[in-house]
Amino acid sequence: MAERKVVAAQSAVHLDDLCRTYERDGQRIPVLEHISLSIPQGEFIALMGPSGSGKTTLLNLIAGIDRPTSGSVEVHGINVSALSERALAKWRSRSVGFIFQFYNLIPVLTAAGNIELPLMLASLSRKQRRERALTALGIVGLADRAEHYPRQLSGGQEQRVAIARAIVTDPQILVADEPTGDLDAKSAEGILDLMQTLNREFGKTIVMVTHDPRAASRAHSQKHLEKGVLLEA
Amino acid sequence: MKWMPFILKHLQRNWIRTASTACAIAVCIFLFCTLQTFVASLRGSLSQGTARLVTRNSVSRFISLPNAYGERIVAVPGVERVAAVNYFGGMRDVNNPDSEFENYAIEAENFLAMYPEYMLSDAEKEAFLGDQHGCIIGRALAEQFHWKVGDAIQLTSNIYRTGPYDFVVSAIYQTDQARYPGTDDAALFFHHKYLDEATGRKAGVRNYRVQIADPRQGGVISHAIDDLFENSDAQTHTETEAQYSASVGVISGNLLLLLNGIGLAVMFTILLVTANTMSMAVRERHTEIGVLKMLGFSAKLVLCLILAEGVLLGIFGAAIGLALGRFLINILPTLPVIGDLVQLFPRMNVPPAIAAAGVVIGMFLGLVAGLFPSLFAYRARITELLRRV
Repeated sequence: MAERKVVAAQSAVHLDDLCRTYERDGQRIPVLEHISLSIPQGEFIALMGPSGSGKTTLLNLIAGIDRPTSGSVEVHGINVSALSERALAKWRSRSVGFIFQFYNLIPVLTAAGNIELPLMLASLSRKQRRERALTALGIVGLADRAEHYPRQLSGGQEQRVAIARAIVTDPQILVADEPTGDLDAKSAEGILDLMQTLNREFGKTIVMVTHDPRAASRAHSQKHLEKGVLLEA
Repeated sequence: MKWMPFILKHLQRNWIRTASTACAIAVCIFLFCTLQTFVASLRGSLSQGTARLVTRNSVSRFISLPNAYGERIVAVPGVERVAAVNYFGGMRDVNNPDSEFENYAIEAENFLAMYPEYMLSDAEKEAFLGDQHGCIIGRALAEQFHWKVGDAIQLTSNIYRTGPYDFVVSAIYQTDQARYPGTDDAALFFHHKYLDEATGRKAGVRNYRVQIADPRQGGVISHAIDDLFENSDAQTHTETEAQYSASVGVISGNLLLLLNGIGLAVMFTILLVTANTMSMAVRERHTEIGVLKMLGFSAKLVLCLILAEGVLLGIFGAAIGLALGRFLINILPTLPVIGDLVQLFPRMNVPPAIAAAGVVIGMFLGLVAGLFPSLFAYRARITELLRRV
């Protein structure tokens, strides 16, 4: 028990006997079964596996947007699965950055407006929000696209804006669900370079779900899921 | 306030849908304000103008009363003056019913004494009273037909078929809309005696205008007049002039209920339309709502943002509806047919209380329309929202 606490304290993410089961039409469908995993701080980990293996579900549990049926999720020592909905929302706004396959930018907001969104929840002035958004845009190399709408950007640029939105609150952990899945090879390389930079230079812990072995090869380690079970390396 | 630009951006997302929804709410508020203003004006008119009564045939206002009733009515205690009035239904062109305009046969001396709103100089009055074929016309009518004092006019009545009737314009009467709002300045008045003689004394009297000394005695005097003719062939019905005007305007007792019923039905229909539109708008944004919640927006905040969108839409709609309502009420008096009806009531305007109620109803419509989609967004799990595209 004492050993588990030490491991959890040192880990950015600690999953303990995690199970997730969905109920559909009275049937119980196990999606994740008894997952135990520790991800050290500053790690860049790739979660791989075939469709339906539970990768995204695991990512959702780590990010605090889904709750486990049993077991626990601890992120930087906080038992995320025990938080109330309100506390969980607050925790997400401060501690996790999300990167989606399809970027999920708000089309009616400019690049800067999208990046400012998470900051709207903080006690910041309009000027402070704008400054931070521009800083984040500078980090992803799109400082000159602040006033562009998503429709005016390429797929790679949209994903960079999404990454800027993910890092603008300076979260401890970034979760990415197929971040290069909708991009051409060149843009995908650029995004992976950026993620490596965020991991290496800014010390972000990154958990990335991917099908792409080339993307996975950029990570420090790879974990494979199959039918909801974490395979041994 | 920091969320206002965010909400406005979402309303601009599909401006055609936003505009059409705002217009739907606008139509609702427009109808509400117009109908309520009409009702308020009607109520106001019913509570005013009790210093003059109108006595008509109890069976129908289209059946005449005997000429002799006038003398008996004026003998009723409290009655100061009586004037016979017949709507003449005169047309400029016998083959064109549309050429009909407002014209009345009146017992001129008493009528003009009872109606200070039709203003004539002493000389003009004398000229009119001294000429049995004379008539007085309003300024608007004079301008419409380019008539001037001394012009000969020939009219054919669609009621009294013994014509044509020849008149000479004795004077153009003035009105003071500030002092006597709603005074008809597009009418023609001529001598009842002329009509009576031209019809071989068969015209009778369509109604008697009765001036009373004390408006508070209106009810008592009305009963006294009607009691007078209770056992005669032509029984009478006496009411205040405002009530009579209201009944001429097809205002029956149930009309207020009907108007309110129409307003409620329209409001309910528009509520459904707006709710459906807002549901569609929110359904299209499932993923975005999921993203907001994922970024840390609480379910309550998301609910409030969507409700605020609805309320804002309601306010936009209400503002447009109010502007439309004001515009229509201002131009109503100039419209054919409706204009004549509106002239019967004091000058209408949207009262502040009704305008405020219109805005509140607009907000309420937006709020209720946004309730179901916002509750969905409130309850939905992030994973469900993100799964939908």
